[in-house]
Amino acid sequence: MVNPILLIVIPLGGAFAIPLLSFISKKLSKYISLVVTFTMVAMVGILIPEILIDSIVVKIGGFTPPFGINLVVSPLSLFFTGIVSLIGFLVSIYAIKYIKEGDIVNYHLLFLLFLTGATGVVLTGDIFNIFVFFEILCISSYALVAYNRDRDGVEAGIKYLIQGSVGSAFILIGIGLLYGLYGSLNMADIASQIHSVNSPLLYLALFLFITGFGVEGAIFPLNGWLPDAHSSAPSTISAVLSGFAIEVGIYAVVRFVWTIFGALNILHFLAGLGIITLIVGELSAFIQNDIKRLLAYSSIGQIGLILFAISVGTSESISGGLFQILAHALSKALLFLAAGYMIYKVGSREIKDMKGIGARMPVTSFCFLIGAFSLVGLPPFVGFPSKFIIIKSALLTQQGYFYLLVGAVLLGTVIEISYFFKLLQGIFSKTTDTKIDEAPIVALIPIVILTILIIGIGVYPQIVNEFLQSASHNLIDKMGYINQVLGVL
Amino acid sequence: MEFIENYLYYIASFGLILIGLYIMLIKKNLIKIIIGLSIIDTGVNILLITMGYLRNGTAPIFSKENLLPSRMVDPIPQALVLTAIVIGVAILALALALAIVLYRHYGTLNVSKIRGLKW
Repeated sequence: MVNPILLIVIPLGGAFAIPLLSFISKKLSKYISLVVTFTMVAMVGILIPEILIDSIVVKIGGFTPPFGINLVVSPLSLFFTGIVSLIGFLVSIYAIKYIKEGDIVNYHLLFLLFLTGATGVVLTGDIFNIFVFFEILCISSYALVAYNRDRDGVEAGIKYLIQGSVGSAFILIGIGLLYGLYGSLNMADIASQIHSVNSPLLYLALFLFITGFGVEGAIFPLNGWLPDAHSSAPSTISAVLSGFAIEVGIYAVVRFVWTIFGALNILHFLAGLGIITLIVGELSAFIQNDIKRLLAYSSIGQIGLILFAISVGTSESISGGLFQILAHALSKALLFLAAGYMIYKVGSREIKDMKGIGARMPVTSFCFLIGAFSLVGLPPFVGFPSKFIIIKSALLTQQGYFYLLVGAVLLGTVIEISYFFKLLQGIFSKTTDTKIDEAPIVALIPIVILTILIIGIGVYPQIVNEFLQSASHNLIDKMGYINQVLGVL
Repeated sequence: MEFIENYLYYIASFGLILIGLYIMLIKKNLIKIIIGLSIIDTGVNILLITMGYLRNGTAPIFSKENLLPSRMVDPIPQALVLTAIVIGVAILALALALAIVLYRHYGTLNVSKIRGLKW
């Protein structure tokens, strides 16, 4: 039995240890983040079988909820923690060689704080605590986007900072309103008495939370920062931002809408918003000439699909949406990591300069191909079962509205196919340039692991199925959540 | 008058938030935008304090006899505001640091002239 609070304490402690140990050797920092993230992956692995039996509620300081702060380790939150730690681990292997310039001590310090924020948001059961961890996540990501201190990075960083901090201010107003109405900050406590107050302020608070978390979750029209930030950041940071940071934003939106407010009547609105996000993202990706910008817009499209799937609202569609989160995290991290060394070797982010790189960097390009196929949703990769479940479950609701939206999803997929094939066609065309060689082995390890995971889960989707089912039940079962935290009333 | 007396703090805090939002939307100078951000933060903090404020209330410490809990100010929003202030300072510091680097790259703080990245 591992105490789940270590999932937050270990990266936070690692972040504090890095500047101290950098007095001994600056190179130590990259191994610290490697060890820390590996420990997190191992702990999630130990916790998964325990969580499938029953959720764990950790009372910090021994205060019984609704007093004090508590962590709720449910299948849903552990699912997100698993993605955070897995992608974090693979990215920190990649970063050993990739991050050479700048102050690497600061990079690893901020990277671990970033992981702390992400795990904290998904594990906590307290609305103010979620705000604090959210700010840790956001502030470290603003700084990481601007890490290179180049023209693009700083501009993207400050855009992200301004939009993100207005979003955080909205969240804080929402917390103030909820505290004023209910006199509690505990998520389960507020959820249990949400219907006891009937005030227009409640709608204002819900709106403020959706807007605030929607900025980080890149829901249209709050995603103006995303293409700039994801394309200008170092590739490792693009991979984690795209791999789990926006999903954490979506988690927060979903947790507030489903568990706290129980506002299931706005799901149609959210589904429509998801589809608009999807179409806008895919159409913008189609006209891009910059490989990372293309991938960033494709992330917007994927987030729209995830939001749509979760908002359809049946148990099956939610597990499809969570599956899509897993598929997107694996595929997009793979694509950004592979693109990172392609850009490094070619010296340009333009797609037209990538011509013929397939012959020069065979392993990287092949893995890139698999990631792109998985994102589009071709079998036997992980993107196929997830998209299949989403579309099937949306059609099973037998509502005309969802039929219409499924049509839009399929349209989005067609656009997605066209721009990825355009990109792949350039990569695998003939060339005369011979100076470029394969990425270093340290960078290939995480890329190949991600490829194996994509193919493995794609061929045997059953291995994650049980876990996804219990995670989606956990989200729907609001009373179960309240009873777990507050004790059976 | 009674309305204003009862809701003075709410009016002030939402007024500050709206002023801050107005500044952020209208002004072109990056430093002014950051000042707007700071005003929003202040407004939100006042709002949080107001949630637990009691006119003529005392500190929530049982220092004297016959001190009723109903006469005490709620301490939780104050603890929240303390945290929120720290977070606000961190964001402000980072924003100003980025603004300095941005100025070195572009030679201007006018956001309509800083458009290296576009859709």
